[in-house]
Amino acid sequence: MATFEDELRLALRRQEPSPDFTERVLARVADAPTRRAPRMSQPWQRPMIRWVAPVAPALLLAAGGAEYRHYRGERAKAQVLLAVRIAGSKLNKAQRKVHMLAHRSNS
Amino acid sequence: MKAAGFFIAFLALAAGLLPAQQVKWNFDKLAARASDSTEVSLDGALLQLGAKFLSDDDKDQAKIKKLVGGLKGIYIKTFEFKKPGEYSASDVEPFRAPLHAPEWQRIVGTHSNEDGESVEVYIKNDSKGIGGLVIISTAPKELTLVNIVGAVDLDSLSELGKHFDFPEVEVEKKK
Repeated sequence: MATFEDELRLALRRQEPSPDFTERVLARVADAPTRRAPRMSQPWQRPMIRWVAPVAPALLLAAGGAEYRHYRGERAKAQVLLAVRIAGSKLNKAQRKVHMLAHRSNS
Repeated sequence: MKAAGFFIAFLALAAGLLPAQQVKWNFDKLAARASDSTEVSLDGALLQLGAKFLSDDDKDQAKIKKLVGGLKGIYIKTFEFKKPGEYSASDVEPFRAPLHAPEWQRIVGTHSNEDGESVEVYIKNDSKGIGGLVIISTAPKELTLVNIVGAVDLDSLSELGKHFDFPEVEVEKKK
């Protein structure tokens, strides 16, 4: 009675290929149509992106710079308006008092 | 003797070439006591940048643009106090100290017993006329210091202060 080891040995025994095995394999390889593996198109390889990619950071910086300059300008404008309002009102107050005194002394 | 003469001439020339500068004030003592303070600090570059953003189509803004065109700086500090008497005349005196003759001349000094308000106006004389302006305005609960550097048109500024009704602009309120 064959043991389990014997059955396993029989199943995994080395088998020599037939003499024409190599020829058959080479013939099949030669007959097979040549097929290239599809190339994955990388986003940066697309012409449009290839040109835009290096310029984009510069464009972003320029846009950010313009936005910041506009913000600074608007802030400076608000400060100018406030400054003129405060300085003008104080000066006007002094001027009105001087006019009032002059008017009193004339009458 | 000759060297001393050259030195004095050099100093005079250097003084003439120096740009007009803002009056140096120290606000530390008052800032500690004030409940609120407002600061406007516009040097020449910032002033001209702000002026560029003023509209030429708006009559009032066009006037301001013209007014600030000849200025080299505007510096304003306003302190507000919760109660009257939180600052005294001796606190204001150091602000007057740098405004002495012959460089500076006090042209207006008013005081109202009714509301306790005082306004002093000083101008800085230079070869071309008015080279600067300082306004010290005191009220029981408020102190305002204005320093304008450059050739300022007093009439235009006063006129603007009279009829411009600008919306309150929150610039830099500090506690």
